[in-house]
Amino acid sequence: MDKTKYCNEVLARVEELMYQELSGMAYWKCEFVGVDFIRSHKIQGSTVPEIVESCAAVMKAEGIVSDVAYKTGGDGVMLKMTVQGCMHHGKEAHVKAEGVRPYICPIANMVLDQIHEKLKYTTSYLTKIAIDEERNRCLLYMALYETPDMIGHVTDWLKDDEDRKWLESQGSQILAAADRKKKE
Amino acid sequence: MNGQEFLDILTSRKSIRRYKPDPVPDEMIDMILEAARWAPTGENYQPWRFIVIRDQETRNKIGDLSKQGSGSRMTSWYCLNELQQRFEGIEDPEKRAGVLEFMYSGRVSEFCKQAPVIFAVIGDLQIGSVDVPYDLCAAMENMILQAHAMGLGSCWVYGPVASTRDAIRFKKILGIPTGFGDFKVLSYLAVGWPKEQRKHPRPKLPLEEMVYWEKFGNKERP
Repeated sequence: MDKTKYCNEVLARVEELMYQELSGMAYWKCEFVGVDFIRSHKIQGSTVPEIVESCAAVMKAEGIVSDVAYKTGGDGVMLKMTVQGCMHHGKEAHVKAEGVRPYICPIANMVLDQIHEKLKYTTSYLTKIAIDEERNRCLLYMALYETPDMIGHVTDWLKDDEDRKWLESQGSQILAAADRKKKE
Repeated sequence: MNGQEFLDILTSRKSIRRYKPDPVPDEMIDMILEAARWAPTGENYQPWRFIVIRDQETRNKIGDLSKQGSGSRMTSWYCLNELQQRFEGIEDPEKRAGVLEFMYSGRVSEFCKQAPVIFAVIGDLQIGSVDVPYDLCAAMENMILQAHAMGLGSCWVYGPVASTRDAIRFKKILGIPTGFGDFKVLSYLAVGWPKEQRKHPRPKLPLEEMVYWEKFGNKERP
């Protein structure tokens, strides 16, 4: 039995019903999906990079992903992760094929959860999940707010981003209606 | 009241986010709650519960949470150049910049601090059968219309409970049990005497664009 396939099929069905009930709002509701796994491991770190690396090491060791690269920016607000060989890739491809922007990423949720748990950040937000089937990778853009005053601190995250062009061809959370109009 | 008069109440309503400091009388609060009580509810389960909040400190906490929720999302959308595209229809660059700052700072959702009263609308998941979220929405709509019919302004605010982590924070502020099967927080309703005259009516799609007859897609009335 292909347990990963089974797991992704189950998750995709749950995502379908979540999306039917909540539409795009489902994106905002699923931040705890996956966190139990990482909470059961001893993640250590006193900075964002240390937390990311500690989480990535566990996820790689357990076969959830094959690699995680990351960078921070935006004066500490942005965390970008490039995830290679994620076991949930099949689920994301299924959701995307249905015309729905992927909205549950356990990998991002785990990292953000540990940033909350260990570093006591004020809040965070998973801004973008972009699935690149051709290269078997996902790009994740997250906002991290260490203190309330960082909310509203805006910079151009994509200024020197090597994936900018490809990313701009991907769907947006808040431009769905406009995107549809363009297609028409 | 005839059908047109009722429709006039519906079509003259608008979301109000700026309020005078004058309190809302208890009798009006009671009428808003009474209106909620008569909303349609599956199998008459009436799962809704309401928390009436007038305490300034509590409203400040909820206002801060609302600001944080909206601001955290919109700041990052701005940083990925998506929020700007969302508002590119505003031609005046200065005005557009002002609107964008208002959005990504989160101030757009902070206004419950100035509303004299807010109503948290929650649903008991142990009482409702299968329709809790929908019942709560129906109750919310009744409250909005009742407030408007009495000359009050209101705004249905989802910001502070949009994410699961924030919904838990919201519950903790109000002492609502946070267990999986305890309560659903729909959102809150801010109510007060209107201090703003918003452009009205807002543009609405014509019926021809949203109504089908007998089958999906069929716009011809038989």
